[in-house]
Amino acid sequence: MKPIWNDTKEYDLKSGKYVKIWQGPQHPGVTGNMSLELLLEGDEIKLLKTHVGYLHRGFEKLMERRKFINCFPIVCRICVPEPDTNEYLFAAAAEELSGIEIPERAKWIRALNLEMARLGATVMGLGGQAGSFGLGTIGQWAVAHRDFLLDSFEELTGGRIYHMYIVPGGVRYEIPEGFEGRLEKTLVKIEKLLSDIDKVMFNNAVFKSRSKGLARIPKDWIEPFGINGTTARASGVSYDVRKDHPYLIYDQLDFNVTTGTEGDVYARTELRREECLLSINLIRQILAKMPKSGPVRTFIPDIMHWKIPAGETYVRAESGRGEYGYYMVTDGSEYPQRVHVKGPSYTHAMSLLEKLAEGNTNADIFGIMVSLQTYPPEIER
Amino acid sequence: MKELIERLRSKFNAKNIKEQRKNFVFITVEKKDLEGCVLYLKEFEGYGHLTLLTALDWIEKDQFELVYHLHNYSNKTDVSVKTFIDRKNPTMVSINNLWAGARVYEREIKELFGIDFPGCPRVNDPFALEGWHEIPPMRKDFDTKKYSEETYFPRPGRYTKDNVAQMEEQLYPVEAEVKNGIAETVRKK
Amino acid sequence: MSLKDIVSPFNAWKRAFEKPDTIVKPLSEREGSDLYRGFHINDIDKCIGCGSCEEICQNAAIDLVDVASVKAKPGDSGLRPLIDYGRCCWCALCVDICPTGSLGMSNDYTWISENSDDFRFIPGIDEKKWNRSEKGYRRSAESWLVDPNRQHMNEIEPDKRKKNFDEYAEGFTDEQAMAEAGRCLDCGICIQACPTHMDVPKYINAIRNKDLDEGLRIMYETNPMLEACGRICTAKCEDVCAVGHNGKPIAIRSLKRYIGDQTFKKKDEIMDLKPAASTGRKVGIIGGGPAGLTAAFYLRRFGHAVTLYEQHDKLGGMLKWGIPDYRLPADVLQREIDFILRQGVEVKYSVKVGKDISFDQLHKENDALFISVGAQIGSDMPIKGMETEGVYSGVEFLEKVAKGEKPFVGKEAVIVGGGNTAMDATRSSIRLGAKAKILYRRTEQEMPANREEIREAKEEGAELKILSTPTKIEKLPSGRLKIECLKMELGEPDKSGRRSPVPKEGSEFYIEADVCIMAIGQKVEPEFSETIGLKVTKWGTFEVHSDTLRSNDKVFAGGDCQTGPDDAIKAVAAGKKAAYFIDKQLRG
Ligand code: SF4
Ligand code: SF4
Repeated sequence: MKPIWNDTKEYDLKSGKYVKIWQGPQHPGVTGNMSLELLLEGDEIKLLKTHVGYLHRGFEKLMERRKFINCFPIVCRICVPEPDTNEYLFAAAAEELSGIEIPERAKWIRALNLEMARLGATVMGLGGQAGSFGLGTIGQWAVAHRDFLLDSFEELTGGRIYHMYIVPGGVRYEIPEGFEGRLEKTLVKIEKLLSDIDKVMFNNAVFKSRSKGLARIPKDWIEPFGINGTTARASGVSYDVRKDHPYLIYDQLDFNVTTGTEGDVYARTELRREECLLSINLIRQILAKMPKSGPVRTFIPDIMHWKIPAGETYVRAESGRGEYGYYMVTDGSEYPQRVHVKGPSYTHAMSLLEKLAEGNTNADIFGIMVSLQTYPPEIER
Repeated sequence: MKELIERLRSKFNAKNIKEQRKNFVFITVEKKDLEGCVLYLKEFEGYGHLTLLTALDWIEKDQFELVYHLHNYSNKTDVSVKTFIDRKNPTMVSINNLWAGARVYEREIKELFGIDFPGCPRVNDPFALEGWHEIPPMRKDFDTKKYSEETYFPRPGRYTKDNVAQMEEQLYPVEAEVKNGIAETVRKK
Repeated sequence: MSLKDIVSPFNAWKRAFEKPDTIVKPLSEREGSDLYRGFHINDIDKCIGCGSCEEICQNAAIDLVDVASVKAKPGDSGLRPLIDYGRCCWCALCVDICPTGSLGMSNDYTWISENSDDFRFIPGIDEKKWNRSEKGYRRSAESWLVDPNRQHMNEIEPDKRKKNFDEYAEGFTDEQAMAEAGRCLDCGICIQACPTHMDVPKYINAIRNKDLDEGLRIMYETNPMLEACGRICTAKCEDVCAVGHNGKPIAIRSLKRYIGDQTFKKKDEIMDLKPAASTGRKVGIIGGGPAGLTAAFYLRRFGHAVTLYEQHDKLGGMLKWGIPDYRLPADVLQREIDFILRQGVEVKYSVKVGKDISFDQLHKENDALFISVGAQIGSDMPIKGMETEGVYSGVEFLEKVAKGEKPFVGKEAVIVGGGNTAMDATRSSIRLGAKAKILYRRTEQEMPANREEIREAKEEGAELKILSTPTKIEKLPSGRLKIECLKMELGEPDKSGRRSPVPKEGSEFYIEADVCIMAIGQKVEPEFSETIGLKVTKWGTFEVHSDTLRSNDKVFAGGDCQTGPDDAIKAVAAGKKAAYFIDKQLRG
C-alpha cells in the first residue's frame, strides 16, 4: 500500500544548501520542554523532527507498581496546565472497573473543576499564541488572569498547580463557603480580558496577516493524523467528547459545539476564544444547576488494599486540547496491570507538527506549534 | 453493534468479545488477521480514528498484547481490537500506511517494549529515552526500584524503624523472645 | 485587512491607566488559602507512631524515627514521622489516613534555607514558624480514608436469649469479616497490648487474602486457646487500636472467632503438626485451665512428655466453670481442648494434688513442674451474714450453673461487684428466671467488666445500682434476704487512678432479695499453697521470678495463682512463657 505520508526524502547537509538548527529543549514557544530539529533551506523548513523525552518520568510504569490510591497523586503531573483531566480520568477508569458509583453532587463538582481547569489552560494558551507572534503584552495579561483562576483553585483544592482534589470515589471535600461568589468575580475579569484580546489580537493587522492561512489543516487529515479537539473543530469536524460521549453531568448542560472552516492558525485561535466563553458559560450553568447539598464522596473500603476486579476499559474526557483518554487494565490485584495515557498532544506535536512544518518558515514554527496546543509531558508521560 | 460484532466474528474470527459499554466493544483476533481487521473497520465500517495503539506485557503467558483502539465519528462507537504476539522476537506488521499518526505509536512501542514494526518510518529512532542500555523499560521484568537503587543513592543517615519491632524492643523484650521461640515450634515441620 | 486592524491594537494602552492587577507584595504577606496543603504539622502528644502515614506515602517521603522526648508506651510506639520535603508531593494522603488526626498541613509554603538537610524534619518536634498554624489542610470526617464504624455480629434479641443458655452471638458472616478486616490499618500497635502478643495484623491480613488456613496457623503460634479467646477475651488489643482514636476500634476479637469458626472442622489437617522428637524429659502440670493447657500444648511441641493433673472431671478451669455457656459453649471449649490433648498430653482427672497424690511425689517423678491452679475461691466480704443461706460467691454460683445444677435464685437476685464474673452471675441468674440487681460501689465508668458485657446485661433487664455497697445480710422470716446497704461517694483517685469510694454517713437503705451473689474477687486456695510449701505473697499468690515464672529449682507457676484473678488471655500468656522457660531449663 502507498504510504499516506512520504517524508523519506534525503537532504544532503554537505551541499551547503541546508542548515540544521535545534530549538529547545528549553520551552520552544511556551509549550514545555521538547526540542525541534529543523532542517532549513534559507528560511523555509524542509524537514522537522520533534524530539521528546526531557520530561519523561515513566508514569505509566510507575503506576504498575503503585497501589491504586497511590497512583492518584502522580497522574496530575502528566499535564501541568490542566492536571485535573488526568485526576478525573484515572478516578473514572478505576471507578468503572470496580463498579463504584459516585454521588451526584460529586459529579457536578468534578465538572466544575474540569471546566475551571480548561478555562485556565485555554486562557494561558491564548496568551501563548499571542506571545509566539510577538504580542507579549497579551501573554502577560493571560498569565495574570490564569493566576486569578489559580487563586480559586487554591481556595477550592488546597493547591495551585496540582490540585489532587478529584479522588477516586468523588471529590475530597465540600466546596468552601462563598466560593461561588469569588469565582464569579474572576470569570467577569476574564470576560473583560477576552474582549480586550478581541481588540488587541483578533483585530490586529500583524496577527491577522501572520496567522491567516498559516498551517492549514485540511479536513481529510483529521483521521489519518488522529487529530481532535479544537484543532479538528477548526477544520470543520464537529467532535467534542462532552457532547458526543457525555460524561459526568454534561448531558444536563446546555451548549453547542462550535466549529470553524478555515483550519488555519487564526481559526484555531478564534475557536479557543470561543472555548473560553463556553467554559465560563458552563461554569455558571454548573453552579446554578448543581444540587445544593449531598455527599461528595463514596467511601472506598480498605483503600490501602483496594483490589479492582480483572477488566479493562477506556475512558475519555474533553481537555482543552482535545480528547484525553485513559486505557486501564486490571488483573484483580492491588496494582494496575497497565495504564495507558493518551493525551491529544501525542499525535498533534509529533506526526502532525512534523507534517505541518514542511514549507513554512522558521519564524512561524512556534506559532504553529502553540496553535496545536501541544504539551510534551503528555507525549512521553 | 450486534451486527458489526457478527460480521467481525465471521470475517476475522473475532473472539473474547466483551461489550464494556453499550457503544464500546473489545475483541481479540489472531495476529495474522489484525491488519485486515483494522483495515476493514477503517474502510468499510467507518472506524477512521485511531484513538490509541498500545502494548501490554503478559510476562506469565510469555506474550505481548497489542491494543488498537478505533473510534467511529459518525455513530460514536468504539472498537478495541486486540491481538497477542509471541514475547520472544516480537514483531508486528506496521499500520503506518493506514494512519499517518500510527508511526509515533509504533516507534514508542519499539522503544518501551521492544516490539519491532518493520517498515515503519524512523521506528528505530529513540523516542523518549536517550542512551538507554537496559532492557525495554515497560517490560514487566524491568524493575524500576532495583534500577533506581543501583543508579542513585539514598540520602546518608536515612533510616526508618518498624513500630512493632520498636515496641518489642522497648516494652517487652523477654516476651518477644518467648514469642519467637514458641512460634517456631508450631511452624517446624 | 482594514484600517481598524491597525488602530484596534492600541486599545492595549487603555489598561495602562487602570488599577494594576499585579502589585508588589512581600511573599511573607501572602498567606496560603485556608485549606492549603503546605508544610506538615503534627500534634506529637496525639500521634501514636503507628506508621500509617509512612505506609501510604507513595514517595517514601516519611520515615519513622526515634524522638528523644517521646518514649514507647502501650498504644504508642514512641516513633514519630520525619518528612523529607525533597520527596513529598503535598498530596496529603498521609493526613487523610492518619487515625489519630494528629497530622495536618499548615498553610505555610514559604521557607528558604540553603542547607538541603533542613528540609528533612520531624513536624511538631522541630520548631517551625508554622507549628501552631490554625489554617491549612486537616482531614475531615468525610476525607478520612478509614471507616469509623465497625461491623456487628448478628445477635439473638435480648428477650429471646435471656430465656436459655444458648450462644447468642452468631459470629461474622464472610462479608462482615471482609469488611471488618478491611478497616485494619495493619499498623501493629495492638500487638503489644495483647498479653500473649498475638500477631493481629498478620491474621487479619490472612482474612483479607481469604487465606483462613494461614490465619489459623498464625494464631496457633501464640495462642492455642484461640477459639475460646475469640469469644470471651477481654480484648486489650481493641483498647489501643489506632482506629479507635477517632472511630470504633477494629473488632479484633470477632475476627479471631471468625477464623476459628471457619477452620475448626479441618484443624488437624490445616495445622498438620507432626509430633516433635521426644526429649525424654517429663513435665507435670497442676491445673488444667488455660495456663496449664497452653503450657501443655507448647511443651509437647518442644518434645517433652506432659502429664496434667486436674481436680475436676473436665478440663478448662475457669473457662469451663466460670464462664456460662451462652458466652462460651461447652462444645467449643471441648473441641479446642481435644486438639491440645491430641498432641499427646496425658491427663489425670479428678486428682487433687496434696490429697490424692502428694506434691513431693510429683516433684520426684518429673523434671519440671508447672503450677497453674488458678484462683478458685471466691473472696468474702468482711460483713455480717456472709454465711447466711442464699449467699453465694460468684465462682461457686457459676460453677453450679456450669455443672447444670440450676442453683436456686428465686425471683430476685442481688449481685455484688462490677467485674466480668459479676456480669456472668447476673446474666446467669436472669436465665434461671430471676430479676437481677447489681450493686457496685463506684460508678459505671469504673466498672472493670467489658463495656459490651455491661450493655448486654442491661439489655437483658439487669438493674444497675451504682455507688452502693452491702453492709449486712439477714434472713427474714419469709426466707428471703434483707440486705442492708450504704450509699457511697467517689473520693480521691487511688494508685490505680480510679477514684476510691467513701461511705456516705447515714445513707443506709435496704433491699430484699432471694439470693445474694458476691462477685467481688477470687483468691488462691490457701490449703493448697500450704501443702506444697512454695513462697507466697501477701495476697496469697505464688511468688516467682517475674521474667521466667520460675519459683525454685524446677517448679514454675503462672496464671491466676501467680497474678491473682485475671483474664484468660493472661493465663495463656503465662502458660506459653512457662513452656518456653521450662524448655530452656530442661535443655540446659
Ligand atoms: S499516621 Fe498519624 S498517628 Fe500514625 S504515625 Fe503518622 S502522624 Fe502519627
Ligand atoms: S503529603 Fe503525600 S507525598 Fe507528602 S509526605 Fe504526605 S503522603 Fe507523602
